Amino acid sequence: MNEAIRMQVSAFVDGELPENEAELLMRRLCQDADLRQPVSEYMAIGRIMRGEYSVPGSGVLRERIAAELDERPLQESADTVVAAQPPRFVRPVAGVAIAATVALVAIFGLGRVADVDDSVPASAVVAEEVVSETVPRMTEEQGQLFRLHGDDSESFFTRLISLEIRADELAEVSEFAADEAEEEAEEEAEEEADGTGPVTSQP
Amino acid sequence: MLSCMDTNKAAACIVICGFFAGSRAFAGDAGSPQEWLDRMGSAVQVTNYAGTVVRVRDGEVDTFKVVHTVKDGVVREKVVIQDGNGLEIIRNGNEVHCILPDRRSVLVEEWNNQSTLFSTLPSSDIHFGNEYDVLIKDFERVAGRKAAKLAILPHDGFRYGYRIWLDTETGFPLQTQLIGDDNQPLEHVKFADISIRQDILSSALDPTHSTEDFKWYTEPRPTMKREVESDWNAVDVPSGFRVISTQQKLLPDAEDPLTHIVYGDGLVTVSVFIGPVTDGRKARRSSMGASNSYSTVIGDYRVTAVGQVPQITVEQIAKSMRQSR
Repeated sequence: MNEAIRMQVSAFVDGELPENEAELLMRRLCQDADLRQPVSEYMAIGRIMRGEYSVPGSGVLRERIAAELDERPLQESADTVVAAQPPRFVRPVAGVAIAATVALVAIFGLGRVADVDDSVPASAVVAEEVVSETVPRMTEEQGQLFRLHGDDSESFFTRLISLEIRADELAEVSEFAADEAEEEAEEEAEEEADGTGPVTSQP
Repeated sequence: MLSCMDTNKAAACIVICGFFAGSRAFAGDAGSPQEWLDRMGSAVQVTNYAGTVVRVRDGEVDTFKVVHTVKDGVVREKVVIQDGNGLEIIRNGNEVHCILPDRRSVLVEEWNNQSTLFSTLPSSDIHFGNEYDVLIKDFERVAGRKAAKLAILPHDGFRYGYRIWLDTETGFPLQTQLIGDDNQPLEHVKFADISIRQDILSSALDPTHSTEDFKWYTEPRPTMKREVESDWNAVDVPSGFRVISTQQKLLPDAEDPLTHIVYGDGLVTVSVFIGPVTDGRKARRSSMGASNSYSTVIGDYRVTAVGQVPQITVEQIAKSMRQSR
C-alpha cells in the first residue's frame, strides 16, 4: 500500500476525506482485502478506548480520539453501539457497510455472546475440555456458522441476525448491475462474431 | 414477521397432533390440540393483518409495526422497527428490502419463501418423534382477542418447550414463548394490538421513505452449495434427532468446502458443520439468544454444531460426530 492510499485511509477513518474520494475508497476497500487492514487498525482504536486492550500511550490516544468523536456523530454512534455490546465480528470493510452493520446491531443486538476457549491436546481424537477463562468474543468463523444455520431458518429474527452478520460483506448493487451489463454486452458481441447471436428482424 | 407457515410446517403440526391426540381439550371450546395446530397452519398462510408486535429477549424489548398480506400466494409485508433508527423492512415475495433511513441505504436480501415473526413457532418439515407432549392449557385474552393457550412440553432437557396462544376465531398465533429448562421464557413475542381483516390497502405496504437517492447494497457473492452424501454421522444423538439434509457449501473467500449436515427432531434443527481446522485445536462454545453452538476438533477436522437448543444438545451432537473409514 502506498503512502497516498495510507493517507487517504487515515483521512477516511478520521472523517476528513471528501465525500467523493470516500466513495472511491470504499469501493476499493470492497475489492482489495489488503487495503482493509489499515482500517482495521484504526478501528482497533475504538477497542482501546473501551479499555479492552492495554497499550502504551493508549490513555492519551483515547482522550484525543474521544474528543474528535464528539464532533463526529457517525463515528461516535458506531463506537457507542459497539461498546454497549460484546465485541463481535464486525469486520471493517467499507463505510456504509459498517454503518449498516452498526445500525442493525443497535436495533437487534446479538444477544449474549459468550465464548469459552478450551485447550486441546493436539493428539486428542476429540478435543478435551480444559476450561480456561470466559472470553466475550465470537470469532468471525463462528458468526458465519450461526449465519449459515440461520439461512435455512424460516425465522424472521434469525434472518435479521444473519443479515447483520453479513452486512459487512455487502456490495453496492449498481456496481454489480454494471458488471453484469458489461458481461452481457461482451457475450453478445462474441455471439454476434460467432454468428450464433439472436436473430433480429430486418425492416 | 409474521407470515406464513408453509404446507410442510402445517403437515408437521398435523403430525404433532397425531402423536398427541390424547391430549385434552377444554369442554365448550371445540378442538383437540391437533385441530388447533391444524387451524394455525392454515391461518398463518392466508391471514391478512396489521398490528404491533412486541418481542422480549435477553431482557430487551423491541417493538415492531407490522402489515402483512397474502395475495395469490405472494406474501407482501412491511415491518417498521419502532425503536432505534427506524429500520424498515419491505418484503415482496422472496425479495426483501431493508431500508435504513438514517443511513440513506437499502440492503437487498432474498429470503426463504416462508418466514415467521414468531421464531418460536414449531417449524419443521420432517417426521415428528415422541419427544414432546402438546396440550391445551387454558383460554386467555391476547391483544383483546380470546386465545387458546397451547403448551408443547419436551420430554427431556435436550430441547426447549413452547407456548402458543391461538386466536379462537381464526387460529392465528397471537403470542408465542420459547421456554427454557427452568420453565422461564427465553423469548417472548406477542401482538400488543392486531387487526385481522382482508381489506388492507396495498399502499399500507409501501415504504415510508422515498429511496430514490439512497444507496443500494446486496451480498456480492452467494455461498455455493450442493447436496452430497457424507461419510460423517453422529453416533450418539439425543433421541428423535435424525438427518434431514447433507450439503457441501463453499463460502466466499474459502478454499475448502464445508460439509453441512442438518439434524432435526420435528420441531427444531441443529446444523453440524465440518471443515478444516484453521484456528487451532481448541474446543469452544458460544451462544446467540436462545441458540447455542459447540465447536470441537475431531481428527483433522473442526466440527461445530449450532441450533436453537440447549447447550448440552449441540455439545453432545458435535462430540459424537465420527467419520466412517
